[in-house]
Amino acid sequence: MKMLTKIALVLIPTITLSTAALSHDPEMHKMANEKADCKNMDHSKMDMKDPVAMAMMKKCMQQSEKTEIKVDHSKMDHSKMSAEKSKVKKDDSHSSHNH
Amino acid sequence: MKIIKLFIAVILLIISAISAVMYSGIVNVAADEPHTDLVYWLLETTREKSIEVAAQNIDVPDLSDPELLLTGGMDYEFMCSSCHLKPGRNQSDMSLGLYPSPPNLTIKAEEHDGHKHRDSTQTDRKNFWVIKHGIKASGMPAWGKTHDEQRIWAMVAFLKRLPTLTPEQYQILTALD
Ligand code: HEC
Repeated sequence: MKMLTKIALVLIPTITLSTAALSHDPEMHKMANEKADCKNMDHSKMDMKDPVAMAMMKKCMQQSEKTEIKVDHSKMDHSKMSAEKSKVKKDDSHSSHNH
Repeated sequence: MKIIKLFIAVILLIISAISAVMYSGIVNVAADEPHTDLVYWLLETTREKSIEVAAQNIDVPDLSDPELLLTGGMDYEFMCSSCHLKPGRNQSDMSLGLYPSPPNLTIKAEEHDGHKHRDSTQTDRKNFWVIKHGIKASGMPAWGKTHDEQRIWAMVAFLKRLPTLTPEQYQILTALD
């Protein structure tokens, strides 16, 4: 019994204190939902016959195509926009639906 | 007649020994308390053999299409990396807390502790089977209930390349579009 008490006296504080060292930065629980970091690609080091390199190229091409569509506002024709809006309104009438 | 009596006695003895162990509550099921070497060996051998036999007739398709790395990579990042880690991350709550612990799949198969791995086709088959069906009484879920075979093969293809990826390559392959 005495031995057990001794063991408990040593183990309980040790375990309690060491749990603090095991807990970690809450940052690690963040879900990564960033875009592919294509700036880091070093083409000179890539073997273009390697499926990994091919997949990376494909990913970055897809991504740049997408962001271009999203970000490139220069092709927006503002003069047409109000017209589009009223057209949408007209088409939005539910008269043709037959539920 | 004598031998049958003896046989029955032995069986009864075994059954009562097992019941005694079960009902006494002496078995510790805590995940932070490892199995003894004997129990570990029993479970590991049973699991390895089971997977080997179950997977032996699976046909492995062509896994070289780069597109597979993209679908497989994204799925891996969101479904698997919390347990099986990723380049640049060598521990997580799950990798430390689960027992049996999830193997670090960013390390080449031959380097896993204690596992024997044969040729790569055999590894692909086993990986496919494990991902599809999961492993009982471990943290490994059966993904086949919610994912078709095509997506599982894509993850198998990704796992083949995962140990060779740098954190930068991994990030590009697995990012959301
Ligand atoms: C909740 C944690 C968890 C998640 C999520 C998880 N696994 Fe596992 N996985 C495990 C554990 C634990 C084992 C080991 C089981 C054992 O040893 O009995 C394992 C084993 C495996 C194995 C067998 C490895 C070997 O060489 O024996 C493969 C392959 C695998 N997982 C792939 C995946 C893939 C792919 C995903 C994502 C779709 C995934 N796992 C998601 C926990 C997880």
